[in-house]
Amino acid sequence: MKNKIDSPASARIEVRGLSKRYHYQPVLDGLDLTVNGGELCVLVGANGAGKTTLLRIVASLVRPDAGEVFAGGYTLAHGGPYRRQIGYLGHQSLFYSDLNAVENLTHYARLYHLADSADRVTQSIQLVGLSAHRTKPVRTYSRGMQQRLAIARSLLHDPEVLLLDEPYTGLDPEAARFLDERLRQLRAPNRAILIAAHRPQGLLSIASHVAWLREGRIAQHLPVTRLGEDPALSAYLKETA
Amino acid sequence: MNGLRRYLSAVWQVFRKDIQVEVRGRQGLPVMLVFALLVVFLFNFALQLSPGLQAGLTAGLLWVSLAFASTLGLNRSVSLEGENNALDGLLLAPVDRSAIFFGKTLSNLVFTLLVALVLLPVFSLFYDLNLLRPGLFLVVLLGQGAYTSLGTLLAALSIQTRTRDVLLPVLLYPLALPVLIAAVEASRGILAGTPLGDLRSWLFLLAACNVLFLAAGLMFFETILEE
Repeated sequence: MKNKIDSPASARIEVRGLSKRYHYQPVLDGLDLTVNGGELCVLVGANGAGKTTLLRIVASLVRPDAGEVFAGGYTLAHGGPYRRQIGYLGHQSLFYSDLNAVENLTHYARLYHLADSADRVTQSIQLVGLSAHRTKPVRTYSRGMQQRLAIARSLLHDPEVLLLDEPYTGLDPEAARFLDERLRQLRAPNRAILIAAHRPQGLLSIASHVAWLREGRIAQHLPVTRLGEDPALSAYLKETA
Repeated sequence: MNGLRRYLSAVWQVFRKDIQVEVRGRQGLPVMLVFALLVVFLFNFALQLSPGLQAGLTAGLLWVSLAFASTLGLNRSVSLEGENNALDGLLLAPVDRSAIFFGKTLSNLVFTLLVALVLLPVFSLFYDLNLLRPGLFLVVLLGQGAYTSLGTLLAALSIQTRTRDVLLPVLLYPLALPVLIAAVEASRGILAGTPLGDLRSWLFLLAACNVLFLAAGLMFFETILEE
């Protein structure tokens, strides 16, 4: 039970029959979705469709009512080893406002037992362009700066599965270009990426697939090269552009 | 790194982070301290205690001050993790989630013990009674250990509610009643000069509460925190 699933495609997200209700209201209703290693899947859907709930379940932050979740070669039931494979960026930064960037990232690096934590923290902060602000408390950061640091946090332990919930929120055009470029670099056979986006148009140039979440299920899941095959999805994407 | 070392390292990291945030922000300990001292001053002036009554009442007043100050600290501990959803960051970490409970219990305990360290000499001064006794230190350690472990568990329960500031004391005070009764009785005995051996039933009750609440945290903390 505690061993990693022995599969050549272990760096993937697989969700089977996932259901979740809030206050007796179904949000996810028997949802199935697979994102293979090397894929970058954009999860689209209206507000309240359940995109965030799906990501939070895969990140092991929310317990599903039913269904199975596999990610990075482990199941949710594996606990710690499962979570080690996950990089998650949510709506909030998850930082302690009174600590600075170095202290916050070092805290996470130690929780992940990263051997070279000091080097990784320095490199991560440098990579997101916050070196000049690294010793300032996070409460003094703008929304965009906090988002950049949150991106650094989610990538700090080099996860096999990356879950990003509206990652472009608060980013200025330069930071958004940086994230595009970083996501291109991160697309690799040993990594599966799932991004929830309300307005996905900007992501289509770097994505491999689009999954449309509607009424608690994946209504459509297509490679970006075949989006034209589904007029309803194409129309939805145009609407949200 | 073996499993136990990883676990202890996670406990230490959560504890270390809480101390670091407190050192940077200074939003928890000073408030706890000021509040506890205010209770001492207010009761001193309001009750105008006569020396004969003091031994009996001082124990009660000491624990009222410590309990209120601890609750303030626990609320701060909860709001700290609620800010920017930092709790999610802890839950995402590849560590057994009970390590978060032990780390936070430890930091909450250290804060309340620091308050007690200031409070005991002040009580001695105001109520003309020596509270700086090894037996009383033991009771404070056991009583605060049980109170903060229960409080940390209940704080986790209240963290995802909108009324968390109110919910925590409402849940905590009734459930902590056995701890407070045992702590007050043991403290009263020590201040009256009763040998520790004669107070063992109260001390055993406090020790049992520590074991019970820590075990409850170990078993239920993860379930409590999951949405």
